[in-house]
Amino acid sequence: MEARFEARAVTKRFGGLTALAAVDFALESGIVSIIGPNGAGKTTLFNIFTGLYPADHGSVTFNGRPLLGLRPDQITTLGICRTFQNIRLFANMTALENVLVGMHARITLRFWDVLSHRGRFREAEGGLGLRAAALLERVGLRAHANDVARNLPYGDQRRLEIARALASEPSLMLLDEPTAGMTRGEASALMRLLRELVADLGLAIILIEHNMRVVMEVSDRVTVLDHGEKIAEGTPREVQTDGRVIEAYLGTRRGQRRHAAG
Amino acid sequence: MIQVVLAVGLVALSAWAVASFPRSVLVFLLFQGSLLFAYVARIPTWLRVGLLGTALLVLMPLIGFFNGYYLEVATQVGIFVALALGLNIVVGLAGLLDLGYVAFFAVGAYSWAIPGSPHANLIFGGNAFPLPAWSFYAFLLIGLLVAAGTGILLGLPVLRLHGDYLAIVTLGFGEVIRVLANNLDKPINITNGPKGITPIGRPPLPFGVPYSEGFYFLVLLIVAVVIVVNRRLEDSHIGRAWEAIREDELAAQAMGVPLVRSKLLAFACGASFAGVMGVVFSAKQIFINPESFTFLESIGVLAMVILGGMGSIPGAVLGATVVTVLNLQVLKGLSLWLNELKNAGVVVFGYSLADLPTQLEPAKYERMIFGVILILMMIFRPQGIFPARRRARELAKQA
Amino acid sequence: MDLQLLVDIFPQVVLDGIILGFMYALIALGYTMVYGVLEFINFAHSEIFIIGAFVGVELLLGLQSLGALDAVPWPLVLLLALLVGMAGSGLLAVTVERVAYRPLRSAPRLIPLISAIGVSFFLQDMIRLFESLWHNAFNLVYPTIDALNVRLELTRTIDVPVKSLVVILAALGMLGVLWVLVNRTKVGTAIRAVAEDQAAASLMGINVNRIISLTFLIGGAMGGAAGVLFGVQYGLINPYSGFIPGLKAFTAAVLGGIGNIPGAMLGGIVLGLLEAFAASYLSLLTGGAFGAEYKDIFAFSVLILILIFRPRGLLGEVVRGRA
Repeated sequence: MEARFEARAVTKRFGGLTALAAVDFALESGIVSIIGPNGAGKTTLFNIFTGLYPADHGSVTFNGRPLLGLRPDQITTLGICRTFQNIRLFANMTALENVLVGMHARITLRFWDVLSHRGRFREAEGGLGLRAAALLERVGLRAHANDVARNLPYGDQRRLEIARALASEPSLMLLDEPTAGMTRGEASALMRLLRELVADLGLAIILIEHNMRVVMEVSDRVTVLDHGEKIAEGTPREVQTDGRVIEAYLGTRRGQRRHAAG
Repeated sequence: MIQVVLAVGLVALSAWAVASFPRSVLVFLLFQGSLLFAYVARIPTWLRVGLLGTALLVLMPLIGFFNGYYLEVATQVGIFVALALGLNIVVGLAGLLDLGYVAFFAVGAYSWAIPGSPHANLIFGGNAFPLPAWSFYAFLLIGLLVAAGTGILLGLPVLRLHGDYLAIVTLGFGEVIRVLANNLDKPINITNGPKGITPIGRPPLPFGVPYSEGFYFLVLLIVAVVIVVNRRLEDSHIGRAWEAIREDELAAQAMGVPLVRSKLLAFACGASFAGVMGVVFSAKQIFINPESFTFLESIGVLAMVILGGMGSIPGAVLGATVVTVLNLQVLKGLSLWLNELKNAGVVVFGYSLADLPTQLEPAKYERMIFGVILILMMIFRPQGIFPARRRARELAKQA
Repeated sequence: MDLQLLVDIFPQVVLDGIILGFMYALIALGYTMVYGVLEFINFAHSEIFIIGAFVGVELLLGLQSLGALDAVPWPLVLLLALLVGMAGSGLLAVTVERVAYRPLRSAPRLIPLISAIGVSFFLQDMIRLFESLWHNAFNLVYPTIDALNVRLELTRTIDVPVKSLVVILAALGMLGVLWVLVNRTKVGTAIRAVAEDQAAASLMGINVNRIISLTFLIGGAMGGAAGVLFGVQYGLINPYSGFIPGLKAFTAAVLGGIGNIPGAMLGGIVLGLLEAFAASYLSLLTGGAFGAEYKDIFAFSVLILILIFRPRGLLGEVVRGRA
């Protein structure tokens, strides 16, 4: 049985560095975390999943459809959306507008509808505004809808990125270190939100996270990468006690080795 | 309340003054200034619309009745407003610096000039041309389509390039179009080369309206349509996608915005405005040649957009007006004034102006004007005079 | 088609191409050095180049009016013209950077580019204004130096004016000096370090602003030298005649791999040859249907094709990501 999201033997090299070596990954539902030391290849994996980098080898399928070779916007249309490690909001647009851009893939209006301003356009545009407001409400940014993204505090920007990603109505969301820079309280609130999303919308989430407390608390399963290789996989408890994982994190032997590109 | 009185008073007074002193450039500038004031003053919207509407629809044609040249200036301003609004989509919204924009204007102009004049007989043989005058109106649409198509053809290969490379390639494209226009008089005479094409047919006008007024209203109508189209695009998912691309191309794509398609659309929209105005321009001028479509013109339109404020519709209108008026009136006025002073033998600080070199013609210094505008705006006010709502915020941070 | 004619003019065409190519190479250095350090297209470099030509012609006209032009030996005159042209252009380039680019260094990429376009236009009309007031003319002709116009007959069909040889030699010398400067001196090392990584260079105690100014000075001076040689070779100059050669030199820089100094030289020569061949053979090969007028289109097409299919150019590395 093929999983809903499945990557097989994904390999990526940058020049002489092997960033990912035949990584397998599968996800049916719930929240799967990818952890690993810096430079383990986590973000590279995301970039391949979302079409930003081509892979050298391997296959990625989503609901049975191959993703490799598709453009990022096509992948978004299929229902996969993401956030970025280093926050890439549309800095000079308002929070609301950021979310509206996120809906682009779901808008069926044609050029002519926009020019003619027919009822269909007004109706659709009104609907988009309401949905965007609801999404902002969900991440707790309703009051900041008309603030320019650049002026929001760091934690709010992270949440806005999640709202923007949700706007594309994904069934799989990839979050790249969503709690980075957040306070403990903010991080916990965000994790509650993620669990809610999984429960309410049937959303599946892949999480890259450094905060182990968060990972252990929220993940259904955990995948561990080190130097571009998958070294462990299982429930949080299983992974926590895995010898190779401990080794990778404490760096007893492998720490001497040159790090691959992240 | 004071502003209401001031606005109404200024517009009325300056209109009267223009009628009374039909030769004074300064008075005409005052009239334009009063319109600007009416636009920015804190007055009720109905009054603003009323004042501007009266000025554009009634007063301006009346002024033209006293001095046709002013109407010509207003028509030129209108043409450049449309061009600036078109470039504003490409540069201001989508953030693609197009330095060859005038090429689309040229394409529009030639698309009517050739079939609208006997010249086409040289290409196709026979004497079916010029096409009947009424077909001009059909060519407004054809010019639009041809220019938009050219935009897409150019865009397909080059839109993958980023930022400054795109700028240079569009510059090259603009030059290519001009060189083609200059040299395609052989082997088949398509453009008649530097000699240009004439006489280009003019459209029939209803109610026996004279041509100067007719073109003024036609341009005004097109500008109005262009503004409406611009606003609707800006306030739609299309406009938001353009701005998202300007802000962060990669993130925009990851959020589902198809990059190439969106950029092509921006290019085609910008080009189509220029194409329509090209058709109008060729008919208005009766004669066109490649000299009207140089790099200088592209930069002129860019200066208009930058001066008014990238991404801002009122900005583009203001920028186009100021730059056109500077070129057509202030520089020329300066030239005339200097000549008068020279002829009168005026002496300044012991230096007789009559000794000034004859080559010194202020009217020829358009480039200096454009250059100064571009440099000063970039250094001191990159968001322009009437900044776009968000653009202003982006640029404020490094001010 | 006259095959014999095609063969006969071949060496002459190559020679024209090489002269043109060295000219482009010298100008391209200014674009490429600045791009290497700032990743910025100095759009005004075409005017910095033509200013060199104007400074040179002013010197020669000055000498002529003093009656000294024929009295002083011509190599000295030429050397003097080159030096003042280089000084004029170099100082102008530094000033332009200081006034119009440095305040915008942290702004979004298009902002300094637009400013540079403004500078380009502004300078064109400034030259015009100055020369109109000074000479009451802005189309100026380089005074002829008889010794330079002597033609050396190489074969029955090819002859070379001395000035062309001088142009080639001077360009070669200039490129040699630059190569030594960049690769064999401390200053050159600093320039390369700043091009590689500004932050790191500044941590190593390099004054980045000074190195950037220096880059503009050297690039500008090379442009100025090219300007004087341009005047000597082609005679007639006007304030606007820098623009197209500038654009082509930029093409040459991109062709060779922008940011890459040997690349700029190679790109210049290749483009010069391409253009010379297009100018001479296009008309012959198409039976006069398309003539030398299309040589500009040729250069721009090269630019567009290179940017689309091999943006790193002939010798360049992968162009760094930008938005």
